[in-house]
Amino acid sequence: MDMEVAIEVKSLVKKYGNLTAVDGISFTVHKGEVFAFVGPNGAGKTTTVEILVCLRNLTSGEARVNGFNVQDRKGQQEIRKRIGVLPQDFNTFDLLTVKENLIYYKKMYGHGIDIDKLIELVDLKDKTNALYKNLSGGLKKRLAIATALVNDPEVVFLDEPTTGLDPRARRDMWNLVKGLKEQGTTVFLTTHYMDEAETLADTVAIINSGKIIAMGTPPRVNIKTWRNEDFDRQKGRKAIIRSASPNSFRSKAGKRRRCCRSS
Amino acid sequence: MRRVLAILNGALRTWYRSKPTLFWTLAFPVLLMLLFGAIFSVSQDPTFDLHLQNQDIVDGQPTVLSKTFSDMLNKTEIFNLHIVDSTENATLLIEEQGIQRMLIIPSGFQADCISRNASIILKMAPPEVETASATVRSVVDNVVEIFNAVVSGQSPPKVVTIEFESIVSESFQFIDWFVPGLIAMSLMTTGIFGAIGWNTRNRELGILKKLATTPLSKLEWIIGVVLYELVMAAISTVVILTIGILVFDVKVLPSIYSIFLIVSGAIAFPGIGMVVARFVKESDAADAAANAITFPMMFLSGTFFPLEMMPDFLQQIAKVLPLTYLNNGLRDSMIYGNVTSALTNTAIMLGIGAFFIILGALITSWREE
Repeated sequence: MDMEVAIEVKSLVKKYGNLTAVDGISFTVHKGEVFAFVGPNGAGKTTTVEILVCLRNLTSGEARVNGFNVQDRKGQQEIRKRIGVLPQDFNTFDLLTVKENLIYYKKMYGHGIDIDKLIELVDLKDKTNALYKNLSGGLKKRLAIATALVNDPEVVFLDEPTTGLDPRARRDMWNLVKGLKEQGTTVFLTTHYMDEAETLADTVAIINSGKIIAMGTPPRVNIKTWRNEDFDRQKGRKAIIRSASPNSFRSKAGKRRRCCRSS
Repeated sequence: MRRVLAILNGALRTWYRSKPTLFWTLAFPVLLMLLFGAIFSVSQDPTFDLHLQNQDIVDGQPTVLSKTFSDMLNKTEIFNLHIVDSTENATLLIEEQGIQRMLIIPSGFQADCISRNASIILKMAPPEVETASATVRSVVDNVVEIFNAVVSGQSPPKVVTIEFESIVSESFQFIDWFVPGLIAMSLMTTGIFGAIGWNTRNRELGILKKLATTPLSKLEWIIGVVLYELVMAAISTVVILTIGILVFDVKVLPSIYSIFLIVSGAIAFPGIGMVVARFVKESDAADAAANAITFPMMFLSGTFFPLEMMPDFLQQIAKVLPLTYLNNGLRDSMIYGNVTSALTNTAIMLGIGAFFIILGALITSWREE
């Protein structure tokens, strides 16, 4: 693996008034690596992503993407050219087709990959001229990921890309991320599914209440052993981390909802 | 420019694929023109209904002087006279039939005229309650004055007469005065509602957040949206004029200076909308915010009636409302042919547009705190 650094975060802190959303985290993502940020809702995953993609100011610490400082205005311009982002809960223009949506975002960059090839890559060829509003949830997510790839980015940020997808659509998404990894694209992924992190990531960082509580390769952090209870013990908070077992996914669905409300 | 055109292209495609939006873009100016056209295209010489009861009857015939007075009223051509039988109870009739105005020539009118002690009775709501009463009263006053002069044989010599010369070249009707105001109002509502709505919807979908992660600048986004609203403005202007010409025989047509003004308005109002959109987070609030801005402007900027009719303090408020300058400029260019005023108002509108677009670019926040 190329050991050049793609993302470097040192002692990053983000506060909202008295609430500390991100509490002094540090980590490094190497080029070509799939890095998974795992944690319950409210752990600080999205805040970290939004700081890295220049959507949010940091309170203290340092963050660099491809060597550019996220706090520096010129650095932000350079970062935006080089990254692809799938924001959480992203929906695109309802009344544009798959192809029109991708052309739209590609024009924002002025460079990028061939749109027809991209449509093939995300397996939407049959839906090229279908309006976004007529796509199923899984296909919408595929298009959303494709919008993060239009500029042939060096680093791709996927904020909870499989939330709300059925198991088949999740597996499709995993294959897509594996394809990106094979091409050498750096992927920064947030998820609250342990199985997703285990399957896709080279490195996993487990975050809870704004702090990284474990980091390393999936076997090294013993990712299979992490359960809700671990987070409960950590901070007395309910969490939504679950194991890879599909049975567990189904049987705990109700509990998950309760957890979401209370966390 | 490539990004701005992409935004315009995306917005236009979304527009023509959304049937409700497409419908209302065309239907709103049509309804506006049909509604106000129907109200204001009627004859410009107003007439008033007036019930007349002549009680001064001798041998079944009205007396000479009472007949002369009623004939003089009729000749003004301002009243639609409805003759009431002399035997009817006037008060009862007014109550039963909801009559608004009645003039009664009392019994003995002719005899009283000779003894210079005659009077007539005019029953109607006071001018404070019904504005038309002032006009009716004034016309009846004039008729009485002339009647007095004729009967007394003291007709004053004519010293001054009025020669009326129109300062507009065409034979315009009131609807022609109204059309520039309708165009201005339509530019305002389209621009402000459109910009606020488009921004709020895209924020809710997460599109603004996504765009903020691309090299697109806020200024490019705002210019793209303003260009889209410019196309919408052109469509509504064409619709208003087409309906006006075909249905109401409207004669005013935009000159090149009017087109400058229309473009300046189509830039300024979405610019204002983009600034307001900064503070509106949800779709529900978007319409309320747009209404709060457009509604006062609609009534205080001389769209429906001349500014001179308003109290002084409201006229001062009108001076800070952008729609006032668009209304004034469009009327000056389309009706009076006043090029200087048209250009001045264009410059003011462009200034307002530039101010709000730059302000919008400065305060619009895609970044979160």
